[in-house]
Amino acid sequence: MRKMIVVAVREYQAAVKSKAFLMTLVAMPILWGGSIVVQMAMRNKVDTKDKRIAVVDYTDHLYDAVAAAAQVRNEKDIFEGEGADRKQVKPRFLVERVDPRGDDAAKARLALSERVRKADSKEIMAFVVIGADVIRPGPDPANASIDYHSNSPTYDDIQHWIAGPLNERVQQLRLQAANLDAGIVAAATKRVPVANLGLVSRDEAGNITEAEKTNELANIFVPMGLMMLMLMVVMVGASPLVQSVLEEKTLRIAEVLLGSVPPFQLMMGKLVGMVGVSLTIVTVYLVGAFYAIHQAGFGSFFPAHIVWWFVIFQSLAVLMYGSLFIAVGAAVSDMKEAQSLVTPVMLIAVSPMFVWINVVKEPSSSFALAMSLIPPATPMLMTIRQAVPPGIPTWQPLLGILLVLLTTVACVFAAGRIFRVGILMQGKGAKVGEMMRWVLRG
Amino acid sequence: MNVVEIENVTKTFGRFTAVNALSLAVPKGSIYGFIGPNGSGKTTTLRMIMRIYHPDPGPGRIRVLGETKQTAADDRVGYLPEERGLYKKMKVRDILRFYAELKGCRDFKDRVNSWLERMGLSEWADKKVEALSKGMAQKVQFISAVIADPELVILDEPFTGLDPVNADVLRDAVLELRKNGSTVIFSTHDMAVAERMCDLIFMIYKGEKVLDGTLESIQDRYGTDTLRVKVEGNGFDARTIPGVEKVTDFGKLQELRISPQTDTQDVLAELMKCGRVTHFELTTPSLHDIFVRIARPEPQDVVPGAARETAHA
Repeated sequence: MRKMIVVAVREYQAAVKSKAFLMTLVAMPILWGGSIVVQMAMRNKVDTKDKRIAVVDYTDHLYDAVAAAAQVRNEKDIFEGEGADRKQVKPRFLVERVDPRGDDAAKARLALSERVRKADSKEIMAFVVIGADVIRPGPDPANASIDYHSNSPTYDDIQHWIAGPLNERVQQLRLQAANLDAGIVAAATKRVPVANLGLVSRDEAGNITEAEKTNELANIFVPMGLMMLMLMVVMVGASPLVQSVLEEKTLRIAEVLLGSVPPFQLMMGKLVGMVGVSLTIVTVYLVGAFYAIHQAGFGSFFPAHIVWWFVIFQSLAVLMYGSLFIAVGAAVSDMKEAQSLVTPVMLIAVSPMFVWINVVKEPSSSFALAMSLIPPATPMLMTIRQAVPPGIPTWQPLLGILLVLLTTVACVFAAGRIFRVGILMQGKGAKVGEMMRWVLRG
Repeated sequence: MNVVEIENVTKTFGRFTAVNALSLAVPKGSIYGFIGPNGSGKTTTLRMIMRIYHPDPGPGRIRVLGETKQTAADDRVGYLPEERGLYKKMKVRDILRFYAELKGCRDFKDRVNSWLERMGLSEWADKKVEALSKGMAQKVQFISAVIADPELVILDEPFTGLDPVNADVLRDAVLELRKNGSTVIFSTHDMAVAERMCDLIFMIYKGEKVLDGTLESIQDRYGTDTLRVKVEGNGFDARTIPGVEKVTDFGKLQELRISPQTDTQDVLAELMKCGRVTHFELTTPSLHDIFVRIARPEPQDVVPGAARETAHA
């Protein structure tokens, strides 16, 4: 036991004192936070060059509405900021009318397409053909549609924008034709919002409290943040074990260590050291997050009630995945070989990401319960379910802990056997079949 | 009393027999030298004594410090693996402390300091292992093997890569270990070191024991069949002298092996015809010569007890 602690302390110090650890500790939030900041900053960094659009209006009643809307947009909507800060953040849309008469329809579209193909900044970028029967759809549906043609299929800003003024004008014209007042219809068809509230309860004085407005975003971001943190802790805390074991193996340190410590104690020492590393990371981030959330005035969203559950689950996750990484490190002979075995373990570790959104939306569903009781996914999914108000019955995380504990013991046991044999093998890596044999025969 | 007793032990890796029906005994307080060509089974045997490797199932048994247990972990045994064996990123003092603590040593601080001083490494105590030269790392590794005052020290080629000064430092340390009651087993390729230091010499060749005993007893087996001569004048070829089986030319000195019935006086007479004889010595073969006779046998070499063929993949 004492020797196990000696190993754990060394492992912890070796990991925490390394520059790589500090880098990851600092770099991770910068990367994640930074990517959000960069996205925000880049959001408006779009090309503000004018975009020209040709409109062929077979109805003869809709072009003016588009032109008017474009003018309003070009004067107001494409700017951000006030006064001196006012600057253009979106391109102007310049519409031009093309007379539909003369050529036949197909030829007209071909001519416009040729203009688009020139890819000249003075030329049009797209054209819109408004069918003759758009306002009063006739028997031919082809005449009742609006077609948007362009050579840039991924740029859909024009298509989305032009649908607005066109539909508004079409509605107006249809209401007029039916002798209906547009104002009355708008009032009559106005949609009613549905508010997302929590439950009503009774306070100490016996008064019924008002239900709080739930913050859907916070209810998704908090579980997501916890899940990402746990995943990161497993990656940062447990995966260096592969390298550490490999170093001991190739540098023959293992032989010296095994002359002092029984293999199982040696492995447990490494695992305990890594749990320590992971707890360090978690403490740093949770304290940081707690502070940041409080500063931002969202203190009530900090999931203080599940912090202990989180710590237990993430420690178990590090033990469970850490033992697998140790087995990998002991079984292979170089880092390249290790990669091919680490990948499947990593895939299992990230697998909860595939279902997390369903679990967040319905944490009490039987699907979420079943998923969160599959041991490799339990630490992350159970935490997510606990993080979404109102939480889940306590027996569920307890059962989860029990199952994860059993799996962890099995993993540690199997890894211990692979470790014992593999750590002394030199020259070549073990095949999966060989490893299974070591596990079964001991 | 024997510290290590190996009886009839075999170790195979797949179809390759690394060690075959081996027996040996290491008396308490002795310095026991392992010699043998590369790949002959030295390290495998040392690892079996360490109990890192276990022998094949069978009648053989290994008893170390009176025990036949299966686990390698034993605070009474110190081990220096062949080269390496140190964490590169750790500081010298930290790694010694770590190994001392692992061996259950509590008063490690003074010990670490005194060993560092003795090995001339005090200035390097707070440097990382990766900054050390090969010789220095070797000394650090040696300290880590003996820091906890083990009863049995197993050193796998401890003198490799050391300059003469450091080799002397290490030799003195090993001799002192014995003086303090420890038993030392080490393997080496340096025959001179083995001749001078070891109480008992053990040679393993192709997994089998070929020599085991004191230097004198080993040399006695080969008899006094070697002449060391210095003859002035050039162009003489000792191989033409009747009774001379083999000539090893060291430049200034020639070693002649003579056949058992040859009269050394006749050889001297023949040599005198070739030039002025300034040195003529009848002696037993050196360990080096014995080693070479076993490991690279020539047609006329008769190696007592070594004329075996082993299944060597």
